[in-house]
Amino acid sequence: MQRIVGGILVLLLGLLVAAAECEGQNKPATPAEQYKAILREYQGASSGGALSDEERMKFVGRVFKLRNKLALKFVELAEKYPKDPIAVDALIQAVWQVNTTPWPVELVGKDDAWLRAFTLLQRDHIRSDKLGSVCQRISFGFCKEYETFLRTVLAKNPHQRVQALACLGLAHFLSHRLQRLDLVKEQPALAKEFEGLFGKAYLEELERQDRAKAIKEAEALFEQAVASYGDVKVPEGGTVGAKAKAELFEIRHLSVGKEALDIEAQDQDGKRFKLRDYRGKVVLLDFWSEF
Amino acid sequence: MIGVNVSGYGVKSLKETMTKEKLPWRSFADSGSIGQGLIASKWNLSATPTFYIIDPKGVIRSKWVGSPGAKAIDTALDKLIKEAEGNAPEK
Repeated sequence: MQRIVGGILVLLLGLLVAAAECEGQNKPATPAEQYKAILREYQGASSGGALSDEERMKFVGRVFKLRNKLALKFVELAEKYPKDPIAVDALIQAVWQVNTTPWPVELVGKDDAWLRAFTLLQRDHIRSDKLGSVCQRISFGFCKEYETFLRTVLAKNPHQRVQALACLGLAHFLSHRLQRLDLVKEQPALAKEFEGLFGKAYLEELERQDRAKAIKEAEALFEQAVASYGDVKVPEGGTVGAKAKAELFEIRHLSVGKEALDIEAQDQDGKRFKLRDYRGKVVLLDFWSEF
Repeated sequence: MIGVNVSGYGVKSLKETMTKEKLPWRSFADSGSIGQGLIASKWNLSATPTFYIIDPKGVIRSKWVGSPGAKAIDTALDKLIKEAEGNAPEK
């Protein structure tokens, strides 16, 4: 609340200053004001942040269209020089969106590059030692092509590091996809959006799958990641083993259908209590922070 | 509703904040660094808010990382409370 009052005060002061400036008539802006004006535009140039909503949409559209066009150029380069070592780098660059964008196609244009890039990666470069980063990136995706790609890399790529990231990536992919399917089931608006993005047939196919079996497969892949690739380093820090163990714990103890872990700690009055004390009641547990 | 505060407060600062902001629920204090106290680490906390709905038997029935909106939470809670009331006479 204090923060809000503070905000209003700052706003009022700002208005007073603005009024005073008007009285002084066309007084040139101070260096600090000029600096701020340039900074605003400068930051806006890369993020679209300081633009109006309409300008911002145009900006997003421009950036996406440009990237779509450049991605296609990468693919064409790789098609022209399939034997050149740079071809695989070009194809990896062409996969720049994890999922199709939720922006309307009229605004951002179509991404015609990613599917061609994946087809070529799978056909010509499945044994490349550079595929680790792609496997990681698409593990947050949803579409069938990513699943096929991850499975093929895991089966055919000879490099231990790439295999490791494909194994972890496929496990992540499968468990993320299940979580998102659960959300789709309870939110009709989301279901509609996913149908538009990935096709009704694909969603129906996924809903028909045996959920328990699918979770078991993700678990088995995380176990394989711990056992076979545990010490392999992940680019952003940590090891494949540590990441996979955290996910296994999540599946076994922190997911829907599992018995909640107990918590014992002090409340705001310094009184110790347990989550278990509330057995027999429906509990909404909220991990919160006012930041 | 039970809270787990992960702002890194000890009991005293938690009490002060909750009094000041008039927060009515009972909350565990998870001291330690922000978002990485003992409870948060054990529960693999990746973002706040994270919600769990736990049924009378202690089983997790819903989970949301990030707020799904009050309506989704209410619907899930109502469903469970009805279910619990339906079961009550058997006890």
